Amino acid sequence: MVAILGVMALAAVAAGPYLLDTYSVNILVRSFLYGCIAIALDILWGFAGVLSFGQSAFFAIGAYGCGLAFVHLGLSWETAIAGLLGGAVLAAIVAAFVGWLAFGHGVSELYVSVVTLVLTVVVVQILYSGGDFTGSSSGLSGFDTFDIEIETWFWITGAALVLSAALGWILVRSDVGRLLVAIRDNEQRCSYFGISGSGIKILVLVFSAVVTSLAGYGYAAYTDVVAPDLGGFQFGTELVIWVALGGRGTLIGPAVAAVVIDFISAYLSGSLPFIWQLFIGLLFILVIVLMPQGLGGAIASLCRRLWPWPMDSPGVARLAAVRADRIAREHAAPAIELRGVARRYGSLRVLEDISFVARQGELVSLVGPNGAGKTTLIRCISDGHERSAGQVAIQGHDIGRLPPERCARLGIGRKFQTPNVFDSLSVAESLRIARARLEPPSPWRRADEIHLPEAALRVVRATGLDRSLTTTVRHLSHGTKQALELAMVLAMEPRLLLLDEPTAGLTKPERTLIGAILVDLVANHDLCILIIEHDFEFVREISSRIIVLHQGRLVLDGNVEDVVSSELVRTIYVGEQHALRETGA
Amino acid sequence: MSTSAPALEVDRLTSGYGEAMVIHDVSVTVPAGQIVAILGKNGMGKSTLLKTVMGFLPASKGHVRVGGEDVTNLTPYRIARRAIAYSPQDQAIFQDLTVDENLRLGLGMQTDYARGLERVSGFFPFLAQRRRQRAGTLSGGEQKMLLVARALLSRPRLMLVDEISEGLQPSVIQRLADVLRGEREALGLGILLIEQNVRFALKVADRFAVLKRGEIVDSGSATESGIEDRVNEHLTV
Repeated sequence: MVAILGVMALAAVAAGPYLLDTYSVNILVRSFLYGCIAIALDILWGFAGVLSFGQSAFFAIGAYGCGLAFVHLGLSWETAIAGLLGGAVLAAIVAAFVGWLAFGHGVSELYVSVVTLVLTVVVVQILYSGGDFTGSSSGLSGFDTFDIEIETWFWITGAALVLSAALGWILVRSDVGRLLVAIRDNEQRCSYFGISGSGIKILVLVFSAVVTSLAGYGYAAYTDVVAPDLGGFQFGTELVIWVALGGRGTLIGPAVAAVVIDFISAYLSGSLPFIWQLFIGLLFILVIVLMPQGLGGAIASLCRRLWPWPMDSPGVARLAAVRADRIAREHAAPAIELRGVARRYGSLRVLEDISFVARQGELVSLVGPNGAGKTTLIRCISDGHERSAGQVAIQGHDIGRLPPERCARLGIGRKFQTPNVFDSLSVAESLRIARARLEPPSPWRRADEIHLPEAALRVVRATGLDRSLTTTVRHLSHGTKQALELAMVLAMEPRLLLLDEPTAGLTKPERTLIGAILVDLVANHDLCILIIEHDFEFVREISSRIIVLHQGRLVLDGNVEDVVSSELVRTIYVGEQHALRETGA
Repeated sequence: MSTSAPALEVDRLTSGYGEAMVIHDVSVTVPAGQIVAILGKNGMGKSTLLKTVMGFLPASKGHVRVGGEDVTNLTPYRIARRAIAYSPQDQAIFQDLTVDENLRLGLGMQTDYARGLERVSGFFPFLAQRRRQRAGTLSGGEQKMLLVARALLSRPRLMLVDEISEGLQPSVIQRLADVLRGEREALGLGILLIEQNVRFALKVADRFAVLKRGEIVDSGSATESGIEDRVNEHLTV
């Protein structure tokens, strides 16, 4: 399919110069280059969710790489390659630095847009203040450049556009493409799967910067002019508008929009210089209001209605069992060891002096009144930044200030209190993401099998998720999302499971089954499970030990009978009117 | 509006997402001063029913009447103005506002906040002690209690409650049951309750209905003996 369309597009490119007049061919060379950067920006924004206004800066870096090399070093193969590589490497370094600044711990998503906007200003100022070296405000022009016919340029840039579109298309439909969407949807969930969202976003930003700088190089070599304006925020913003108009996340839409708008602009800006800009502005507002998905998105959903042809579901993935690596108790270190853990929010003391040890093969229930600090304790175990004092060690490794993705790599699987899932992925894709750290996703294909350990498979089957593998998670009911998150966490093959009310919203039979699965994991696979549950009957059935928290302190730590017969637990937790035997559904 | 009209009348309602219908021809009546529990497995359309009653999803067929007045497909805020309190499953409190501010928003036009606060903190004592705490820093269970308190503070005629017992400690669930039954008597409040905790639901409710694949397959009085087993039977199959 992609191959057929690609060949047709290449044929069109080949025929272009014979059908079009020289002026059109001349303009289209530039338009094709813009199409390539629109594709790079769409992968960055439409898929990875990073809105960058600074693509123009990378374009300018590439363009000046060419201009500076040819002006100061003269035209030769060596200087041509040096300029190309110099621009690309510089663009990559700048992008990595911007990403490092913008995707730091706890920084809002908007931040990257602000940083990239500032980047354009900085780049333009540097170009202005470069004196004779950069040509300051007049830029560099009239340098010796490749002696290539316009038609050849048309073929080169046209082929580059088709190639970018084809490679981009393959990428976004691959498992890596799904991973980008998962990070856009819910970066927190990804980090608790051990996936570094910021690391991957930096990679995508670097990749898009390199592609954009290569296009900038082509632009400079072709037009024989580079000027500071190329790096300005006006061009950066224009690129964003093209992508939005063409349909963010449709890949082909932004490329077509970039080519068409640039091409028509060239014709109309002569005859209608200001009106044309106004028209583009109005069109932008109209499309954003009427078609939030852009023109490409609107056309795609129309096509889907006309031909209900499964464009988006490349075969249903099968579930396959995989044997979880049974790690022998390689070190005698306990699964979790807490010493003096405390958490304060200002003057509010949520946890004080919590110390306990839990080993592999133990199923420990955390019990306590609402607001006792149970969820906070789980947070302190799974994210090194959370606690205010004390030490946490996982299998003998002190977690220090490690971020969640590093804690997850120590073997922690955490299920959140309210379902924490990927709304725009399907059930199958979500399960695949949970396996991403164990089985790195491929950038060019989709796995047709999803490998799940037996425990995850059992949850999937018991809750009917296996019958809705292609359903988009957004459409699942609350309880089914709970089950999906549990299955995803089990798919990670964790050594230590932290479960915050895993069966809330599930029916009694489903609960019983999940209870049995957890007990099996502890007994036969040597996991350590720390679980928060309010269904006391359920807690009694599955636990090997119960820890009671009250007002942020550990008040009781004992076996099931100790806790059940405790007067304290009866008073603060279960309620005095009813005996324990009657509680729970 | 006649006083004899039921608090809520759902009349052969069909609705869903886009083209896919989730509930079909569902009819439920909640008389004033009664509690009706809707039970059923996950994905059977329970939340969809509430969302449609509240106007968040369009009804493709059927009617929703509140106190005898047809409110089918009105916008949610117009429906809420008919003194209906809706407690959805998640994300329903204002995380960045304080406990006090959240409660005041439930009050609508009434001004006597002190009396109202006294009443609801009688149900959930922690509310009075934590008035200036940011609601987002409350624990999951405390947020649920705040949600119920806010709904009750508005003195509604009808309450729609989605899985309120989820994440609450046993003693609070018991208190909640007492509170809901007390309020229904005191205010003549009608309550439509969606629950996964069958025992709690049957303890609170006057009547029950079981929803299966978007249709009501069983209903009756919740107080008869042997109902729990009968309902659990539906959930297992």
